[in-house]
Amino acid sequence: MATVERTITQAQIDGYAEASGDHNPIHVDPAFAATTMFGGTIAHGMLVLALIGEAMHEAEGERWLTSGRLKVRFKAPTRPGDTVVATATAVKETDDAIDYAVQCARADGEILIEGRASVGLGGAGR
Amino acid sequence: MTSSTRTSISALPRGHEFPASTFTLSPGDVDAYLRAIGDRGDYGPVIPPLAAVALGLNALQEHLSLPKGSLHTGQEVEHERAASGGETLTLTGRVAQRSERQGFVISVIEFEIAAVAGVAVRARTTIMAPAGAA
Repeated sequence: MATVERTITQAQIDGYAEASGDHNPIHVDPAFAATTMFGGTIAHGMLVLALIGEAMHEAEGERWLTSGRLKVRFKAPTRPGDTVVATATAVKETDDAIDYAVQCARADGEILIEGRASVGLGGAGR
Repeated sequence: MTSSTRTSISALPRGHEFPASTFTLSPGDVDAYLRAIGDRGDYGPVIPPLAAVALGLNALQEHLSLPKGSLHTGQEVEHERAASGGETLTLTGRVAQRSERQGFVISVIEFEIAAVAGVAVRARTTIMAPAGAA
């Protein structure tokens, strides 16, 4: 199992907005975000999902970059100050692919992102 | 980016095709992305696929706007081949699904990002946006 743990800060969210060009006010405008159902800013889904990408890269290296597959649902928001643990756990291996269960969870156990990932083996196994 | 050419995602019908966009991610853009997500992994010259998707979504916003209160609720990604920093990438996309529920429009945007050698990444992004919002 590959694991990546990180505490998400508002500074990181602001930095991600600059790098990605996604300045949606739900992420970067505390005054606007306070009026929404979340009551404050939340991290970009793609910022949190990147932790799963990092875990899969750690587990599979170049195979992840050239043959990776990923399908996830964003289940709960990540707020500034949340410590997020991303895990990628191999659950099935055939000659064609290795399948992983992937998730991001908060320290209190709430699942933030959940889904499946895989890498291709081209019929040759590992 | 000109706001007059952009349409709210909640107003786009199923089947809408976005004009092809070209963009380049320089090695500096990729480094800035990796710093922003806090990833210190060694990717060499390769663009991490999720970086291509995140920055491709930004390129799509040349053609669509996301109303305040829009949420990204699902993501699928298929990596077909590695693309390198500095390559010119072409993004093509469409609205693959559209439905309405409880005052929100749920749109699935399908897109491909191609390098010279062929498609590098295919993605499906699900976005929930307030219905009727500009």
